[in-house]
Amino acid sequence: MSDVAAMTGATVTRATLRRNFWGSVWRVLLRKPSRLLGVVLMLGFAFMGSIGPMLYDRPLPRDPSVQFASPSLRHPFGTDFQGTDVFSLLVIGSRYVLLTALITAVVSVLLGTAVGLVAGFRRGALDAVLMRITDVNLTIPGLPLLLVLSTVWEFSGAWEMGLVLGLLGWGGLARAVRSQTLSLRERGFVEAARGLGLPNRHIVGRELLPPIAPYIAMNALMSLIVAVYAQVGLFFLGVMPVIGENWGVMLNRAVFDFGAMTTPARLPYMLAPLLAILLLTIAIVLVVDAMDEVFNPRLRVE
Amino acid sequence: MKGIARRLAGHLARGLVMIWVVLTFTFVIVSIMPGDPVQAEYELLLQQGHSPQQAEAQTAMLHRFRPTGSVLEQYLEYMGSLLRLDLGQSVVTRVDVSTILGEATRWTVIPVLIGTVLSFVLGVLIGVYAAIKRSGKLGDALTLSGSLLRGLPDFVVALILAAIFATLWPVLPRSGAVNILYEPGFNLDYILSLGQHAILPIATYAISSYGGWILAMKSSVVTVLGDDFILAAELRGMKRSVIFRYIARNAILPLFTIFALSIAALFSGAIFVERIFNYPGLGMLLINSIGRRDITVMTGAFLLITAAVIVANIVADMFYTVIDPRVRRAGDAA
Amino acid sequence: MKVTRLTASLAAVALVLAACGGDGDDDSPTTPDDENGAVDETPAEGEVQRGGVYTTIAATQLDATAPPNPFFPQGNSYLGYNSMRLGWVKNHPTNPSEFYPGLASEWDVAPDNSTLTVTIHPDATWSDGTPVTAEDVVVSSDIAYTRGAGAFILSPGAAGTASDVEVIDDKTVQFTQDPENPTSTFINGIMDMVIVPAHVYADQLPDDFAQTLEAARNDDDAGEAARETVSEAGEALASFAPEEDVSAGPYVLERINPSEALLVRNEHFHHDHLVAPDQVILRNYTGNEQIWDYLRAGELDFAQFTAVPPDVVQQIEQVPGNEVSRTYSPVVAGLAFNQSYKPFDDVHVRRALAFAIDREQTVSIATPDGGTPAITTSGMHQEVLDAWAGEVAGELEPYAHDLDRAAEELEAAGMTQENGRWMLPSGEPFEVPIQVVTGFSDWITAGENIATQLNEFGIQSEILTAPDFTVYQEDMANGEYPVGFWLIGLGPSPYNIFQRLYGQSNGWQVLQGNLSYSPPGEDGNWKGGPETVEVDGIGTVNPGELAHELNTASPERVDEIMSILAQVTNETLPAIQMWDYINTQFSNNNRFITDPPDDARRITGVAALAGVWIQQGWVSAAG
Repeated sequence: MSDVAAMTGATVTRATLRRNFWGSVWRVLLRKPSRLLGVVLMLGFAFMGSIGPMLYDRPLPRDPSVQFASPSLRHPFGTDFQGTDVFSLLVIGSRYVLLTALITAVVSVLLGTAVGLVAGFRRGALDAVLMRITDVNLTIPGLPLLLVLSTVWEFSGAWEMGLVLGLLGWGGLARAVRSQTLSLRERGFVEAARGLGLPNRHIVGRELLPPIAPYIAMNALMSLIVAVYAQVGLFFLGVMPVIGENWGVMLNRAVFDFGAMTTPARLPYMLAPLLAILLLTIAIVLVVDAMDEVFNPRLRVE
Repeated sequence: MKGIARRLAGHLARGLVMIWVVLTFTFVIVSIMPGDPVQAEYELLLQQGHSPQQAEAQTAMLHRFRPTGSVLEQYLEYMGSLLRLDLGQSVVTRVDVSTILGEATRWTVIPVLIGTVLSFVLGVLIGVYAAIKRSGKLGDALTLSGSLLRGLPDFVVALILAAIFATLWPVLPRSGAVNILYEPGFNLDYILSLGQHAILPIATYAISSYGGWILAMKSSVVTVLGDDFILAAELRGMKRSVIFRYIARNAILPLFTIFALSIAALFSGAIFVERIFNYPGLGMLLINSIGRRDITVMTGAFLLITAAVIVANIVADMFYTVIDPRVRRAGDAA
Repeated sequence: MKVTRLTASLAAVALVLAACGGDGDDDSPTTPDDENGAVDETPAEGEVQRGGVYTTIAATQLDATAPPNPFFPQGNSYLGYNSMRLGWVKNHPTNPSEFYPGLASEWDVAPDNSTLTVTIHPDATWSDGTPVTAEDVVVSSDIAYTRGAGAFILSPGAAGTASDVEVIDDKTVQFTQDPENPTSTFINGIMDMVIVPAHVYADQLPDDFAQTLEAARNDDDAGEAARETVSEAGEALASFAPEEDVSAGPYVLERINPSEALLVRNEHFHHDHLVAPDQVILRNYTGNEQIWDYLRAGELDFAQFTAVPPDVVQQIEQVPGNEVSRTYSPVVAGLAFNQSYKPFDDVHVRRALAFAIDREQTVSIATPDGGTPAITTSGMHQEVLDAWAGEVAGELEPYAHDLDRAAEELEAAGMTQENGRWMLPSGEPFEVPIQVVTGFSDWITAGENIATQLNEFGIQSEILTAPDFTVYQEDMANGEYPVGFWLIGLGPSPYNIFQRLYGQSNGWQVLQGNLSYSPPGEDGNWKGGPETVEVDGIGTVNPGELAHELNTASPERVDEIMSILAQVTNETLPAIQMWDYINTQFSNNNRFITDPPDDARRITGVAALAGVWIQQGWVSAAG
């Protein structure tokens, strides 16, 4: 997506950068309204996952006489098998999905950045070992592995699920961070900083990290997508307990229990989580697109 | 050349270690895995309306097929037979695992290959276009659609396709691989039936991987466009077709590395696609064997998928080595 | 096409039947036959119109790589099509030993149940032209011993086993029941046997197999060694791949792919004149939703019971030619308790839950087409309740939905209500976790609805799922679930009905023919009910012993025990009976008319029912 060639951060002073930053963010967003849409959607999902579930009284109201009602103003996605509003299920289910995705992103970004920085900065034997581990991480087919793991581990909470997904998904970032660290070293300012007698902590935190940070941030966003894909997918396949409130369970039950594929009348129940995933993907892609331009001024010139 | 051979040998050695790691890992999982396949089969038969005696009669023999000995003994035995390329027999069906894997692999590899080639051709063409028009609105839209499709889970694509073509407008089948009435072989009916059943899986593979090609090709073309050669050629007024050929050749080469990796990724994606379209490939086999606790088949399928990914990685890397002289030289020096 | 119903029955069970009176929706006049096992078989007049392809569903997993060997764990051998039993058990609601003829045309049971004489149909022939003979039956029973099931169990003390197999003539074989531990269902263990061609399978058995079998009956070390030899022979058979399919059924396997099997007509089949379709396609399925799709597309000529959501049923019924039949199915879904967990050891708590759950709502949401709400908890299907429990049936507490009585019971258990929530005497909230299993859509949906209802009543309840049935089984047996779904009332045999409540899962297990009791938490006793209970008007009873006695009891005694156990179950509620399954089946009459008698709709132990019907002539070409 980006070769992060724009290592401008080191030459411009920090204050100017910050002042220019928000200005350029705003300009970039305005240049394409679709990006504004992306930001709005992202904020919407954040609201949905954090505050959304609290807006509903539990147990959810239901009307057993109207099972699988068609979409209406009251029920934008109709009702489920017990007559509960599907939209409220979607909102409540978003918490698990988004929280897991967030944890995954945090874990994989922390691990990937740490491994990449250490490997690229230290070089030598440690680098070789870390890169071997990274290779293994990149080569193990994640989804089949999760399927096999699911026979012994229920990943019941968002934390467990997020942790496992994060542990499986840091390899790509580690490799990229390492190669960028290496290229920064080649430019000599690590040597220069060393020459000035600055501690390693300073070099990594102040000199190496800032230029890579935008890349890491974009990577974190993209890993949100991957996390949603993996966890919703696992629940959808039914290897996880198909109980609880999340989109994957809704998909699983729609397709395998409720016959959404057989009866068009039940399609809305399946389409609701699909639409949510679609919108979330769009939001992330648009935001990443905007970020790419903010941090990659070269693209802006064209 | 010696460097390449050494590099390949290193990869193969690491690949074997990887397979051993995965195998050991799977064995640990299997050894702590709860659930008794025989008891499950018995209760399922009851659920299907067999009388307890009939269910007992059906499952009595299975008790004898349980693995015996300690986990370590089983592990060593399995490793031993694996060296002879013997994957054992299915715990549930008693068929050789290699036979089962062979049958299932067919149904995964062919649609995945067709889907990848389709998306490659489409993605490369659109990618070139998006690169050339990168400052225009259309090029922008194409790039965005590429990012979106790359991010969209393949099961979302598969479910949407299934909802459209199998539910709302039921023109294509949502299960099976081929109509059994047609004699297998080189006859039109059989091939048409194969095709009809494979359209939706292939379309899913194609759609969900083509976004990646657009992006890769676009960035590759953009890099090539910046080359001095192009500037010089344009200044000298060289023929557009010559320039285009230069761009295409130099931009496509790096993509072949991704090609191998993309096939590996689709092997995992096949799990969803095959489940949704009930297509009898490797992914389906893996899910079914997990559901039935058919541990030998499960281990075999997981090993095969891992091996496929490793081989794809090696192929990609070797290809990269061959086309990029810098890496080749580095390899020679090492 | 009119076919006279074939009836064959045992005198012993006929008596029971006569005592029990009528049986609900069963439209076939299965009058007990005084001729004692003789079959009054009247083949159809004339021939059926032949041709066409019949498409149906196979309930077993198709495995394209497996051979057509019925002893292969998932072999491509389909009972009723290319694989035959001696007879097909009807699953009459109260008579477990009535059969439709398979390869046997006659079967005679001695009045004391000590012998069974089976006669092979005179025209029965294998698809390679060899006649089916007594020798085939003998080899098949030898093989049955290697598998150790039905009437062919070698372990000393096993109940209802055959002690002798004797060839009377070329087509007749006599089986003698071991007098040590006889059961009334001995005949089922033999009629259920799969018959394979001796000229293909005999070579797979070790030499001197008859002597090995003889030795294996002894309760000594030599016997133990012989039994091991026998089992090893069984293992070898389970890996045997015959070169071609040799079938005595109406069809022969032509080819198979991972999703479908194609079977073609066997011209040598003895009732070939009754067989309408030229070819049969058996479709594989991995999830019920695939069957729904096929049915909606009108592609299936017949599909047996699967859980189907109500509006999907409507969709299916709207397809031209599709028909739905609903008959009795001898299975009951219960919500079982593990009484090792407090407060579920308190009968008041179990009764409270029985009153608190509106079964009608649950069934109407979870499985309106697959079940009827249980009218009470008796441990048996309501279809057979009157027949078995007689007068007692009317006295059982129906546990109709009644929140006031539920509250009374909870109070009797020492609970109090605070802010609308029920609290245990300890002050903690009363929690009911309901365990279900992934993939059983009716259980999950029902469980969710029950949890919702309980929460609305003020009882903290949530539903938990096991990832698959294997784990569910194991965890349940290990006593990890306080409350979970459990199949009960598996008729028609009286013992089978109560074996699920007062068998191993509740502490009573049969070892070497002797009943023993294990305390809760041991040997798979996860229900943890009391070993003996006080019953109004009867006194102290041991339900496990009574259930075990059903195997051998006289018909009068069986009646008596069934009433007692129904009462015990109703009063002590080891499980709440949620719904009685309905045998919902679908057929399409555009290509073929599929019209079996009701009792043939629940022939058990076959993967795809229609084969049995086709060979009896109950499937005919449409128009």
